[in-house]
Amino acid sequence: MILNLIEKFALGKYGKWFGLLSRLILGGVLFAAGWLKIFTPAKSQMAVRAYEVLPIALANFLGILLPWFEVGLGVLLILGIAVRVSALLGGALMVLFIAAISQAWARGLSIDCGCFGGGGTVDPSETKYLSEILRDTGLALLALYLVRYPLTRFAVEKLTKTQGE
Amino acid sequence: MATSSSGGDKFTRNLVIGMVALVVVVGASFSYFGSKGSTTAAIPSSVSKADGYGIVFNGDFPNVPTIDVYEDFQCPVCARFEAINGITLEKAIEEKKAKVVYHVLSFLGTESILAANAAACAADEDKFLAFHKAFYANQPAENAGAINATFLKSIGAAIGIDSAKFSACVDNGGYSDWVKNVAEAGAKANVNSTPTVFVNGKEIDRNTEYFNVEAFAKAIKG
Repeated sequence: MILNLIEKFALGKYGKWFGLLSRLILGGVLFAAGWLKIFTPAKSQMAVRAYEVLPIALANFLGILLPWFEVGLGVLLILGIAVRVSALLGGALMVLFIAAISQAWARGLSIDCGCFGGGGTVDPSETKYLSEILRDTGLALLALYLVRYPLTRFAVEKLTKTQGE
Repeated sequence: MATSSSGGDKFTRNLVIGMVALVVVVGASFSYFGSKGSTTAAIPSSVSKADGYGIVFNGDFPNVPTIDVYEDFQCPVCARFEAINGITLEKAIEEKKAKVVYHVLSFLGTESILAANAAACAADEDKFLAFHKAFYANQPAENAGAINATFLKSIGAAIGIDSAKFSACVDNGGYSDWVKNVAEAGAKANVNSTPTVFVNGKEIDRNTEYFNVEAFAKAIKG
């Protein structure tokens, strides 16, 4: 029922505008999140280690790679190139982040998510797991929309379906 | 839903994807190799590779607890920690009650690297502890451009270092490779916050023992 409504909206007059908005929000957040971390790799590594999920060596490697990966996905989404694949990867990232933050919360760790720089162990009163999870859930839903309806306004890559418009 | 690109458009698409992929791979590689330490780095006096490249006090006393202190000169909480526990640690060093290893991390940015380098220069003058104390007492705001050679030399001058060697050492950043080694060792030791204190390899209680004079003095007895 709700899916029918979304379908009707997506194929309607404003669907592609909403797609553009989704691209800019998801892409913009990914780009900003990555950009704020790429110049302080040691801090980014620390943020990943603080989740206490991965072996230290792997966490340190991911701490270096992840910010660049986010920047790359952000650029593709903002430009509107390979939207479906980029949105799929961006959405998958969000699901991973939600899982990582949830387990930290459940285990009673006190960490900052390190999403936009920062990160590491913080005072228990400074954790904000719920708002971090809600934000990432919203972004994951936008990603899902783009995976289903990747044809959007002002995308560099013109897809066949948009030809003749 | 049809989502394949049209002919001429495909070229642009592949070009941009290729460029983005290239930037990601090259950038991440630079970042990776740039943060790697070097085995040939110049090392200040009283530093031990076995102790994670930290600056060691009382390294030759085998029967005392080992206290590892991980800090970043720019971290405000580290300044608070120093104000509360600095004297306790200095006394433990003076009275030979503990082996103390200072790890000067630099994750907060380039100004942390400058400060750590200058601290190493001070260690060569046998003035690390005095530098450490004077720096934290005058800690500038984080990454505001205030930590530069002039500032670091003025800290040196305030604690009585007047050698040309110190001045040159601050200017040319000769220990910045060593600073990377310290950072890399800290990452391997799973230090995720500053300050972090290990007593005999085990972290003391963050909620109760870091910012209380008596609790800290008790905790470092091992």
